[in-house]
Amino acid sequence: MKIPSISPTILLAAALLIYPLVFSGAFYLDIGVTFLLAAISASAWNIVGGYAGQVSVGHAMFFGLGAYAPLLCYTLFQWAPIAGIPFGIMFSIALAVLIGIPTFRLTGHYFSMATIAVAELIRIYFGTWDLVGAAIGLQGPATARGWWDLTFRSELPYYYIFLAVLAVLLYLTFLIERRRFGYYLRAIKAGERAARSLGVPVQQTKIKALVLSAVFTSLAGSLYSVKTGFIDPESGFGILVSVQMVIIAALGGAGKLYGPLVGALILIPLQTATNTWFGGGGTGLTFILYGGIIVLIARYEPGGLFELWERIAPRRWRHKNAS
Amino acid sequence: MLLLQVIVGGLLLGAIYALFSSGLTLIWGMMNFINFAHGEFVMLGMYVSLLVVVWLGGGPAAFGFAAAFSLFVLGVFVYLSLIRYVLRGPMLSQILSTFGLALLLRYTAFWIFSANFVSLPQTSLSGTLNVGGVLMPVPQLVAGVIAILLTIGLHLMLTRTKVGSQLLAVSEDRGAAMLMGIRPDRMQALAWGLSAGAAGIAGALMAIAYPWSPSVGETFGLTAFVVVALGGFGSVPGALLAGLIIGLIQALSAFWFGPIYKDIIVYALFVALLWLRPQGLMGKA
Amino acid sequence: MSRFRLLKAAAAAATLIAFSAAVPVMAADVVKIGILWPLTGNAAAAGQASKAAAEVAVDIINNAHPDLGDLPLAKTAGLPNMGGAKLELVFVDHQGNPSLAQQLATRLITQDKVDVLMGAYQSSCSFTATAVAERYGIPFMVGESAALNITGRGFKWVFRGTPIASDYARTYMRFFGDMKKQSKKIDSIAIVNENTDYGTSVADAIVEEAKKANIPVAIRIPYSASSTDVSAQVLQLKERQPDVVIFISYTADSILYMKTMKNLDYAPPMVIGDDTGFSDPSFIPAVADVAQGVMNRSAWSIGKPGSTTYKINEMYKAKTGRDLDDTSARNMQSFFALADAINRAGSTDPEKIRDALTKTDLKPEQLMMGYEGVKFDNTGQNILAATYLIQLHDKKYELIWPDKAAEAKLQWPMAGWKK
Repeated sequence: MKIPSISPTILLAAALLIYPLVFSGAFYLDIGVTFLLAAISASAWNIVGGYAGQVSVGHAMFFGLGAYAPLLCYTLFQWAPIAGIPFGIMFSIALAVLIGIPTFRLTGHYFSMATIAVAELIRIYFGTWDLVGAAIGLQGPATARGWWDLTFRSELPYYYIFLAVLAVLLYLTFLIERRRFGYYLRAIKAGERAARSLGVPVQQTKIKALVLSAVFTSLAGSLYSVKTGFIDPESGFGILVSVQMVIIAALGGAGKLYGPLVGALILIPLQTATNTWFGGGGTGLTFILYGGIIVLIARYEPGGLFELWERIAPRRWRHKNAS
Repeated sequence: MLLLQVIVGGLLLGAIYALFSSGLTLIWGMMNFINFAHGEFVMLGMYVSLLVVVWLGGGPAAFGFAAAFSLFVLGVFVYLSLIRYVLRGPMLSQILSTFGLALLLRYTAFWIFSANFVSLPQTSLSGTLNVGGVLMPVPQLVAGVIAILLTIGLHLMLTRTKVGSQLLAVSEDRGAAMLMGIRPDRMQALAWGLSAGAAGIAGALMAIAYPWSPSVGETFGLTAFVVVALGGFGSVPGALLAGLIIGLIQALSAFWFGPIYKDIIVYALFVALLWLRPQGLMGKA
Repeated sequence: MSRFRLLKAAAAAATLIAFSAAVPVMAADVVKIGILWPLTGNAAAAGQASKAAAEVAVDIINNAHPDLGDLPLAKTAGLPNMGGAKLELVFVDHQGNPSLAQQLATRLITQDKVDVLMGAYQSSCSFTATAVAERYGIPFMVGESAALNITGRGFKWVFRGTPIASDYARTYMRFFGDMKKQSKKIDSIAIVNENTDYGTSVADAIVEEAKKANIPVAIRIPYSASSTDVSAQVLQLKERQPDVVIFISYTADSILYMKTMKNLDYAPPMVIGDDTGFSDPSFIPAVADVAQGVMNRSAWSIGKPGSTTYKINEMYKAKTGRDLDDTSARNMQSFFALADAINRAGSTDPEKIRDALTKTDLKPEQLMMGYEGVKFDNTGQNILAATYLIQLHDKKYELIWPDKAAEAKLQWPMAGWKK
């Protein structure tokens, strides 16, 4: 008799929902929140970097804009930070279109380099711009003036808000996968010239993908700065912010729905562990580890762990269902 | 007079940029591949120099050679163990491979050497020359001149020697080169060795004149991209010209607008170049 | 089948809960201090130096050192008001990342159950870590971060033992006032600052104080501390010819500036370095021959052999092979103030420690630094923090201002590389 199997999605959702109830310590909660944030950023990147194959290593430009907007609105106008989130998104969309049009004419490596340069440019400029706090950065409300400031003592509300955002993003990605837009993206990834000759509106599609990706990356940035209560050019636009998104997506499987999630599931606890065990000793092992992992993925399993799993799993399924 | 001083300083530094960028452009021309860890090769060249001076008491010639040789070996090794596999793979893994390498090299250097800035103890090259009112510190002068000579030397090697023409053949048309009996794999490994070696010597030259830490690789890498973009991907003479120009632009921007803006201007120039004239000054389109 | 998977997961989860819930029973005779510093990354050198300083301080407090005079808690072993309880340090490395600092602060409080916190070097990390402390009601001692409003947010649990940017700026202006009275020409100054939060905070403060003191700022040059080449900046200075140049720099750039100035034959009447790079142990050996007479600020002076400060330096030197630098010394002083408050509180209860901190009143004889005392105002800032001005004579810095503490005569203009 076949035992009905619960779909992995439901299992995943259940695990994520009850995690904070099981691991209720503030520290574990923070890890959970960090994990969700990483998953959101990487999944957002995945749309343009994983599905469409346009490897942006400067996505921090959107993250940073999204991160600065809420705290800027708070600093300048004393608004609740969340009121600034739409502005961050607006600026990111504008930037995406502005950047997209010229750079999408470039291919492969050119595009990546351009994204790095733009992100660096913005980072340096923000470091000189007094309005946004220059090198010192901006802070959020120290103590809550009301629930809308979202300055919670416990991180539990953040956890569920972030989880909701991740769910929306993944659902959107799921829809895209199945519709024409998703086919266009995959066609572009497989070969632009061929896609164009098949009638795919390449330039338009790429820009739409970038805009969509930018919106959610910006949102991730906003969530980050609201939760941390602080932002500066390095934590908003730094190259490590961009690189982390790419690594996480690539580790799990770029171009796969759950790829970034899996990548985050592995990398975030790993990062926390190395910080805890080696951190006080001061050797920067975390980044050596990162570098090593990326090189290994690139060399042996470019499709990420997901692809690895897909290669191994079918065999097991076949055996199971045979009986 | 001050302006002339700024210009000379900019050109001398630009010469070094030209040297390490020529390696990057060579790889690009041959394989349509950008090495994101190139800046780290320069950084390693600097540390090799330090080790030679501190452990063996060697002079500039010794550590220059050591940097060139050790980085050459590293370049070939990286090609054989990593690059030639990812060349056949998706774009993401190509980019990730050297990115990961950059992180690996940079943070291993942090681990071994710590984050402190270091500089070479005073070598035989010190003092300042005064040429018609323009002050030229000897280390910078020597570094700049040697850098120009080496870059020209590289170009001559590529265009005048047999090995050079084989390298260029692979870069122009891989298939035809194979038919001529040239082994592309070998040539590509050689190119990587040359590229890394050039970066290594550039590092040694910079070490004579400037302090550094493991983090300098990032800035050098980006500078190299800009130079290569301006000079034209694949063109060593282009890299020479572009290196000098970028050095000049940096120095003038820093003097007229302030040091912070020099980076902004250079990156903005880069983005504009990629958009308006991706083939640069002298590169193939 | 997936039901079994669920059961397995639940079992694993249960085990993990059990582990995390197993809090180590705290011995009544240990007081835990959580310290957040950058032990890797760009500021690692400073973080590591301060870590060594903290460890020396703990040794002094936990063991009897009757030869260290009136330094609080030195004579006795452990904290006398708590039955000789020992201090235990828990270090964490925030890598200069403010979000990580936030997470680690949370971990220190909720997992490691520390009694007080200290940190965090970079102002960005101090901002986020102190906010966590404030939320949980745990006292946080800031030992060295410069940004003004770390203590300006209306927090009750944050204290800062070190002088801040505006203090330094005012010191410089007072010095200029004294110099003008001695007929030295100070018609304009220039400020050259590295452009992260440290350099920017101090430079901003100097610009403001200069305005109040009516001293024009000829040029302000922000630059990136990781610059390879600073010739353009030096040439800009050469063009403006200010009477005093104030550098707010880290180590490599400080050295680079001094050398570049010599290369480009630029010798202003006076150079003042705002600590940090100019106080690094590698600075003097690297530039002694070209930067004679360069001024610096320091609240720390090693002092004469046999003095308390000299002995502390010897202990630090035995541990690290280098002299104690000003930043680490300021951290050490804040640490002593913190330990003293815990002792006066006589308990690990956070509210009692906080209360003891607000009542802190250490006198100059009890300090290792040249402050006028340690006393916190209602924002948590030590209002008696002060600094000396020192000058490079030969191969060491000598105290030249204020006059009442001066050990040597001021050299003006500075000799630079000229004999």
